[in-house]
Amino acid sequence: MLIIKVSNLSKTYEYYKKQLGVWASVKGLFRREKLHKEAVKEINFSIEEGELVGFLGPNGAGKTTTLKMLSGILYPTSGEAKVLGYTPWKRQPEYQKQFALVMGQKNQLWWDLPAMESFILNKEIYEVSDADFKENLDELVELLDIKDILDVQVRKLSLGQRMKCELVAALLHKPKVLFLDEPTIGLDVVAQKNIRDFIKQYNQKNKTTIILTSHYMEDVKELCKRVIIIEEGKIGYDGDLARLIEKYAPYKVLKITFEGEGVKEVDIREFGEMHQFAPHSITLRVPREKAKNVARDILSSNLPVDDILIDEVDISDVVRKIFSNGN
Amino acid sequence: MRKYLAVIKAEWQRQMTYRVNQFTFRIGNVFEILVQILIWTAIFQNVQVIRGYNYKEMMTYILIGWLLSMLMQNYGFENIISGHIEEGKLSNFISKPINYIKYLITLSIGRCSFTVAVAFGMNVVLLFLFRHYFILSKDPLMWAVLVAMVLAGYFINLFISILVGFTSFWTVDNHGIFYSINTLAKFLSGNYFPINILPAAFLNFSLALPFVYTFYFPAQLYLGKISIRQGLVGLGVEIAWLAFLYLVINWVWKLGLKKFESVGI
Repeated sequence: MLIIKVSNLSKTYEYYKKQLGVWASVKGLFRREKLHKEAVKEINFSIEEGELVGFLGPNGAGKTTTLKMLSGILYPTSGEAKVLGYTPWKRQPEYQKQFALVMGQKNQLWWDLPAMESFILNKEIYEVSDADFKENLDELVELLDIKDILDVQVRKLSLGQRMKCELVAALLHKPKVLFLDEPTIGLDVVAQKNIRDFIKQYNQKNKTTIILTSHYMEDVKELCKRVIIIEEGKIGYDGDLARLIEKYAPYKVLKITFEGEGVKEVDIREFGEMHQFAPHSITLRVPREKAKNVARDILSSNLPVDDILIDEVDISDVVRKIFSNGN
Repeated sequence: MRKYLAVIKAEWQRQMTYRVNQFTFRIGNVFEILVQILIWTAIFQNVQVIRGYNYKEMMTYILIGWLLSMLMQNYGFENIISGHIEEGKLSNFISKPINYIKYLITLSIGRCSFTVAVAFGMNVVLLFLFRHYFILSKDPLMWAVLVAMVLAGYFINLFISILVGFTSFWTVDNHGIFYSINTLAKFLSGNYFPINILPAAFLNFSLALPFVYTFYFPAQLYLGKISIRQGLVGLGVEIAWLAFLYLVINWVWKLGLKKFESVGI
């Protein structure tokens, strides 16, 4: 079943040019130049029920703007979107009760109160019954292992603990659609993994449709089968994560270790593009279709090969390459 | 409705977390009252009556006026609203099944009820200390009108704060505006001195504005310087202001939201 359908969605922000210098600022009090920034340009995509899709793109690419439009926080400049059959920016309570937005950089919990108080408030806002509330809360608390921090003031929690509580607050009403905007930002590796594991489990168990944005490739690799890459407001790629590598990285990586005295750089150069060199360990980049042949050639040469490994280019390198090329 | 009650409950708990803050703020208020008492006591050393007020009436004006205005204040609520807008927290509200304006009204009630209790307690102590200079009114009809006026005055202040807070949709960091508006409102309300000390034209002008009904007017009613009938007319003016302000709030909210959406804070 189609849950999200976005057609030709665009968003242009208006802002005023700020000139440098005091005199220019004074002039700016009387006459300001209005500028437009096209944050999202005619994007199209659709998402099926239960999918967990990763939104990738550099800062300012339009990811958050898109999520905000899908949450009904922003009106689009043009285009359409339907989530669960609703137009988000009409802000119908029937729609609002069925989705949740979690922003890693913002918090919805009451800062001065224990998280539990915010949960109770959300229970009332979303009109969750007592029985459902208890059941959902117990399940989430168990999954995230936060039983002992429920009655601690939110301001005293660590960032990781707070993020867990944010997730609970967002999920108490069992949303069918979940927008996660950088849920792991600023967290340490362990906390990142905890949140990631939780999202994975939750998605599998509840068939919640999730859009996730993250700058951490680990998150995307671990969670998303499908990714949508947004750059400068346009969709650059929409499809399988695995195929992204094939498309954008026509190379494979050969990692070779040598015994004894090792090798000289000149001996190796003919086999492929040198990526890293040390006498006992080198990394070569070779065209995808030639990888096997090159490996065989190296093994059958006179070089003192100890081990050889054919590997895909790291996804983060691929994405970095996409972002830096801007193509 | 339950969701809004939950807002009040949560806010109560938040307020109680910061009880020290409550008391320290109110100590400042007590000083403000004492300063006014000192000034007027000094002025009355050589005169019996100033513009129709004798010393005891002036003391009563200050004490009852402050007591009532504390019940009607909302203690810098505009800062909370502008915080929501400037930090983008407003997104939290407009993406949830809750009405932001109703949320603000309930939040303010939750926020003020505790503060008001503390302020009221402190003022009653003050009244007790100055009991020999205070005229106690025992007219039940007057008290009934006064209670209605306090209620209406509370919402007038609240609505003004909401409107002032909404200016943050257009300009960031509004503390200067807030300060100036608050000072002007305090002056126009008769908080610094009874408005009728000034020329009559000024008083008439003030009576058409909402501010005067949050200090001067109820204090005059209490002192019996205006009749119950006049008091009821004043109440009518207040209610008209309330209706008008509510409409303006909803209108400004719609405009502001468009602005919020277009800048995408």
